Amino acid sequence: MAFYDLHLHSEFSEGKSSVEDFAKRAKILGFRGICFATYYKDRKRVDRLKKKAAEVSKKMGIDIFIGLEATTLEELKKLMNNRREYDILLVRGTNLDLNRKAVQTKEVDILTHPEYNRRDSGLNHVMAKLAAKNKVAIEINFREILQSSKNTRSHIMHHIQKNVKLCKKYKTPIIISSGAVSHLQMKDPAILISMGCLLGLELSKAKGALSKTPENMIKMIKERQDKRWVRPGVKVVR
Amino acid sequence: MKILKMVVPTLREKNRYIAFEVISETGEEFTYSDLESAVWNTMLDFLGEEGVSKTSVWLLKDSWDQKKQTGIIRCNHKSVQDVVASLGLIDRLGDNRITFKILKISGTIKSIKSSTSKKG
Repeated sequence: MAFYDLHLHSEFSEGKSSVEDFAKRAKILGFRGICFATYYKDRKRVDRLKKKAAEVSKKMGIDIFIGLEATTLEELKKLMNNRREYDILLVRGTNLDLNRKAVQTKEVDILTHPEYNRRDSGLNHVMAKLAAKNKVAIEINFREILQSSKNTRSHIMHHIQKNVKLCKKYKTPIIISSGAVSHLQMKDPAILISMGCLLGLELSKAKGALSKTPENMIKMIKERQDKRWVRPGVKVVR
Repeated sequence: MKILKMVVPTLREKNRYIAFEVISETGEEFTYSDLESAVWNTMLDFLGEEGVSKTSVWLLKDSWDQKKQTGIIRCNHKSVQDVVASLGLIDRLGDNRITFKILKISGTIKSIKSSTSKKG
């Protein structure tokens, strides 16, 4: 089974480790592919990351994708217009309006940690339904759990469990990622799967969150890179 | 001292053995006691005393290989996910940052030892 970690931050965004370090660690841990998320603020940086990722991918024999993470509604609008220029569109959860906009946008691939920095879970039944309809995956971020402790950790896990319950009910895709900002924070796929199980997923679904859902996303990326693709659901036939 | 009579197989607890490798930042070698305290502290923090009691967890001292930095943890078959997730939450051993790699999960110690020796 091929596993993917689709939310990593290298030195090109808020991370501390280089692309090579991440790729090496991913290879040791048994990942088939990884995705580096970065921000739209600096376009030159994104281009440099793309170049570096292509280089390392060839050298290490591992799939590397480029993801852009929108942090505001304005950024999301801008990124939607340039959808072909990068592989994965992530939206950083926190703001309720942004969470809502993300799940009703077909161009978005992942809504990252909707419960981040919130007193609630950041996702309700309407949003879960919309996410399922538009195939927006809801992320379980391991870094959030790893970096918290005691009562904060228990609150975060409680919110994630609520989101998992909603996603299961409405068949919304879920992905599990390490959310690592350093290659030392990357986790073995077995550990991520186990955490998914503790948060309320069945074993098969937890495995799917690391392999099947990312694979479907990668299929979409390939479709999108096809010249005939116009926008989600629209393709030039002749 | 009289030894307790063994329970019949159907009533015995089903064990699972988890083989793991500790990957450190700069290739430091850790001792068994370093690892033991980190595993117990993290598990007690994460699962609580009552939660740990249900896992029947035990770190096998004889199977800790200090050179390869590999070891085996035993737990019951119902709590494999709890133990593996707890291992993922161990971020540091002393001042060193580490990651756990799960090599194999098996029902018998014989098969886990043979598979890890083949790989190593």
